[in-house]
Amino acid sequence: MKMAAAPVRLVAGRGLWLSPLLLAAAIMAGTAIGETRLPFLTVLQTLANHLWGAGYPVDGIEAGIIWSYRLPRAIIAACSGAGLALTGVVLQALLRNPLADPYLMGLSAGASTGAVLVTVAGVGGGAISMSLGALTGALLAFGCVVALAHAVNGAAGGGRATQAAAAIILAGIAGSQMFNALTAFTIARSANAEQARGIMFWLMGNLSGVRWEDVWACAGVSLAGVALCLWYRRGLDAFTFGADGAASLGINVQALRGSLITATAIMVGVLVSKVGAIGFVGLVVPHAMRFLVGTRHDRLVPASALAGAVFLVAADVISRILVPGQVLPIGVVTALVGAPAFALILVRGGARR
Amino acid sequence: MKIDVQALSARVHRTPLLTDVSLHIESGELFGLVGPNGSGKSTLMRCLAGLRRPILGRVIADDTDLGQMPARLRACRIAFVEQQADTTDRLTVREAVELGRTPYLSPLRRWGADDQAAVENALSSVEMDAFADRLWHTLSGGERQRVHIARALAQAPDLLLLDEPTNHLDIRHQLSLMALVRDLPLTRVIALHDLNQAMTCDRVGVLHKGRLIAAGPPANVLHEDLLARVFGVAAKSATAPDGAPRLHFSHAL
Repeated sequence: MKMAAAPVRLVAGRGLWLSPLLLAAAIMAGTAIGETRLPFLTVLQTLANHLWGAGYPVDGIEAGIIWSYRLPRAIIAACSGAGLALTGVVLQALLRNPLADPYLMGLSAGASTGAVLVTVAGVGGGAISMSLGALTGALLAFGCVVALAHAVNGAAGGGRATQAAAAIILAGIAGSQMFNALTAFTIARSANAEQARGIMFWLMGNLSGVRWEDVWACAGVSLAGVALCLWYRRGLDAFTFGADGAASLGINVQALRGSLITATAIMVGVLVSKVGAIGFVGLVVPHAMRFLVGTRHDRLVPASALAGAVFLVAADVISRILVPGQVLPIGVVTALVGAPAFALILVRGGARR
Repeated sequence: MKIDVQALSARVHRTPLLTDVSLHIESGELFGLVGPNGSGKSTLMRCLAGLRRPILGRVIADDTDLGQMPARLRACRIAFVEQQADTTDRLTVREAVELGRTPYLSPLRRWGADDQAAVENALSSVEMDAFADRLWHTLSGGERQRVHIARALAQAPDLLLLDEPTNHLDIRHQLSLMALVRDLPLTRVIALHDLNQAMTCDRVGVLHKGRLIAAGPPANVLHEDLLARVFGVAAKSATAPDGAPRLHFSHAL
């Protein structure tokens, strides 16, 4: 029986080595496929020209599409997918709630309120960009939710870490509702039809118009997130039998929970401020990966980050080519593709039991 | 590991859960903790496990104040089997037991041969070797408790705390679990509901409304007066066919 476990781990280990290649292939595909399909060779040549000045003769317009438009877009899609999936893993593990997702802590609600206040209500008088407004809103909402959770805990007497998890979830729901109401209020009061449509698109995820400056921010936070979660993988494992179980295994529950949730909230805040609130990835990808690689976080963290990245790059490609001449909000695609896929995984997983 | 509980008090808001509990537990003994529902058994167990900070008093484990001990060091010496800890995760028995090595591992220290050996030993001492690759959710309640004990043993503790481990188990699993716990060669504190199971402990402590009102050998402590006063039952102590003292309960008072 000891033998049986070994090959599985070996395969998982090999998968980890292959994963950067898979991710690179997905980003390549995301760059090549679009309204005008570009040959892979052109993509590679453009990359070579930009990365080490190889000097291949490439059509200027095609090179521009590849380097300034599609490549940053594909990379940001990958970073966002990885970051959202990772946050789902962390929240589902720490709060022991299978429905926990990155927006549980009021992040998307806060981001949309911030974005709407800047673009529609004109807060900041043009000095603040929409993404800065969204980031501020997301972090502000997160702060409110955390403060509320603390207040609930204080009133309930605190103590048991399991109750604290329930308090966080309830506070997140209350905070989200309040910020969503603020968003709706602002739109109803001052937006015209065109603005309302634009906001709706942004709320469902919008990767158009991302630039290389955005790439660095997104890549930075998602790589830092992956590193942090891998560093604390055993701490995440220790929560398998609940927060008290983790505490009796020597985990400082409050410190680990506080720091990991705050770190992932900042990560999602940055991502949401660039690409809007893309739903479903953070909820579904971790569950799917648990079926594939098991519940241990040394495998679950990299697998979820990779799967989230590939999934979102693919969803972005589909959102660009599904309806000719029109780009769908990526959140529509993630839900349309993700929901049935999730249902299939659940049914299959149920049958295996 | 010998334990010295010194004037321990715990409370939630203004409701006292434990009041001035002092207790000495010898190294290597099996100490039973009994008391009606809400008498503070679980709270005392959680204080002994270092999961709850007392308002007053302290717990000294082998000359070290538990409150001053870093969580990781504490987990290398004290293991806690909670009351019915469950999970929805799809993990195997072996993976559950491997969690017990958490305090010995760090982000940079990899899984080693001694960790593997500790897990194998723990699995065989609860006789769950054959179940190592079974999934958690396919286990019965008694098997799950055994896995929890194996996880605790994988921590290689000096003190094992068990909070009502026989709850919700059928009679066969109750007896075999108690036999397993009795034979473990380390200090054990076990909270129990079944007073006849408590009779098999080396010593018992009786909690009543947050106070420790008696401690000593079970035959001396669990007498008819105390059972009437604390548990509100009429009981007779008699000698069972095997020669061991047994309690017979007739009715609630």
